[in-house]
Amino acid sequence: MAAVTSTGLPPALAPKVPKRRSTESPLTHGRRGPGRVIANVVGLLFTVIMIFPAYWVINTAFKPPNEVLSFTPAFWPENPTFDNFKSAVNAPNFLLDLRNSVVITLSAVACALVVGFLAALAIARFRFYGRRSLIMIVLIVQMVPFIALLIPLYLTLNAVQLTNTLPGVTIVYLVFVLPYTVWTLRGFISNVPKELDEAAMVDGCTRMQTFYRIILPLVGPGLVATSIFGFIQAWNEFIIINTLNSPEKQNLMAWLLQNQTLRGTTYGPLMAGAVITSLPVVVFFLMIQKHIAVGLTAGAVKG
Amino acid sequence: MDVLRSSPVTVLDTAGAQRDVQSATPPGRRGSRFRVTKKKATPYLLATPAILLLFGLLGYPLFRMTVLSFQNMRLRHLLRGETPPWAGLDNYKRVFSDPFFWTVVRNTVVFTVVAVGLSVLLGLLVALLMRRVSAWVRIGMIIAMMLVWAMPPLIQAQIFKWMVDADFGVLNYMIDQIPGVNFTNHSWWIDSVQGWSVITTLVVWGAIPFLAVTLFAGLSQVPRDLVEAATVDGANAWQVFRNVTLPILRPLIIIVTTLSVIWDFQVFTQIWVLRDSKPEREYLALSVYAYTESFGRSNYSLGSAIALITVLLMLGVMAFYIRQMFKMGDVE
Repeated sequence: MAAVTSTGLPPALAPKVPKRRSTESPLTHGRRGPGRVIANVVGLLFTVIMIFPAYWVINTAFKPPNEVLSFTPAFWPENPTFDNFKSAVNAPNFLLDLRNSVVITLSAVACALVVGFLAALAIARFRFYGRRSLIMIVLIVQMVPFIALLIPLYLTLNAVQLTNTLPGVTIVYLVFVLPYTVWTLRGFISNVPKELDEAAMVDGCTRMQTFYRIILPLVGPGLVATSIFGFIQAWNEFIIINTLNSPEKQNLMAWLLQNQTLRGTTYGPLMAGAVITSLPVVVFFLMIQKHIAVGLTAGAVKG
Repeated sequence: MDVLRSSPVTVLDTAGAQRDVQSATPPGRRGSRFRVTKKKATPYLLATPAILLLFGLLGYPLFRMTVLSFQNMRLRHLLRGETPPWAGLDNYKRVFSDPFFWTVVRNTVVFTVVAVGLSVLLGLLVALLMRRVSAWVRIGMIIAMMLVWAMPPLIQAQIFKWMVDADFGVLNYMIDQIPGVNFTNHSWWIDSVQGWSVITTLVVWGAIPFLAVTLFAGLSQVPRDLVEAATVDGANAWQVFRNVTLPILRPLIIIVTTLSVIWDFQVFTQIWVLRDSKPEREYLALSVYAYTESFGRSNYSLGSAIALITVLLMLGVMAFYIRQMFKMGDVE
């Protein structure tokens, strides 16, 4: 459990959300009666409060301008329209920035996955001098605010002429998701029992063969989850690219921020843009949530 | 763990013996001496790309930032690539003697304490509530939380900005419905306490899913026998929670609290978006302050000094977190 929590990995990945209708203890939890009713009411109230902002963004996105800018906001669009979405998609740079987002995020995550997997393998499967320090570095680096490093990052990229380029930002994002990737994959790899490796080697596999015949397939779901979460992190980032790159080399999140400041109160298209931008991330997130419920059960109880 | 440390040779030798018996099907692994040296080098080879990247784009910039904080870099140095003049401790003196810096520190600390306290407390309460409700309500709660969790922070903040909009925001409208209260055109940003409340609400709202779901998973690992035994012995719900559940949950609570402190102390996105990328002075937290000093006013060195102080302020919490991680044996 801690393995996963500590990474900042959404424990959605970690904790299997138990469906425990039948196993509930009659003494503490399965109580019927007024207690249960009150709990249910509070639970529903909580659900409504939590979900309200999400509902409100969708509600706004489908409203025509006169309904958005109304002093008595309606809780349902009276004349639902796709105009906001159209105007968001047709806004300057939307498609360009969408492409940038996809390219940057995918390449950063792919590289982070390869580099991170190798490092995670080293940490999880080998004892070597400096291992503890490496773990420390990986942990510390996850906590250093990237914003603090923007100036020196700019200078460093400038030294190799990568400022204001997409590859430059991609490398930064790669490093941005790397510590997390190493840390999570390390957890996944350590969850593959070492006895399996040993058995494979006894049966005559080389180390290399052990890696791609035993560890890789078993870590597969972990690789998927880690890469998706890396994707989410890189996709959501905007301040680094916004600071390092000129306006024509932004990603979708930065585009959204620029639109917010440029357009003032045109909330309809802004909220439509927000829906479009968060859709892939939300879908991905819900995907791994399901994936991991099975895949990480072992990880969740490690300790 | 020890298996690999103490007996790799045995394992490999067995493998070798087996291979002989099995008429040498798999290739590779010839001389045993070569094998040992290769094995020693392997972890380093594996970790090298990661280490290079981390040092190149985190270690070196961190060093650069430290140096920068002792220099005086302005825009012209950045544009022309000149080496900025040495300033010694000037930046730090300036920062520490500036009462406004201390106001920002105070704001950040107060915000962190309130936000972390609220999110952990509410997260725990929600987790406990999830144990009590019917299955279908629990599913609803989980779906709602997953949606919130999945939303990009920038968009969460934009939604809040829209909801607290002075003219057309839904929040003012709803508060207005309470008889005798007039919130028409009420701006939430004039009074800084109200403004910070909006920021805190947004941060707490965004943090609850992580905390509640984690703690809920932790709760389901509390052994049922213990709870039942305590109940049989006459403990009431509160006593069970206080004396059975809480002690078992404690390590997890400590970890999530520490993480929340680290995250909330660096709060940036929420303030940045809610205040339209140009936050007023009363809404500066340390990381926002460092950013605006650097990029808003081109005081790159001063910004670096503030950023470094921010990191140093967090160092204690970070060290605690890392110690906790090692202590839990999770790292091994």
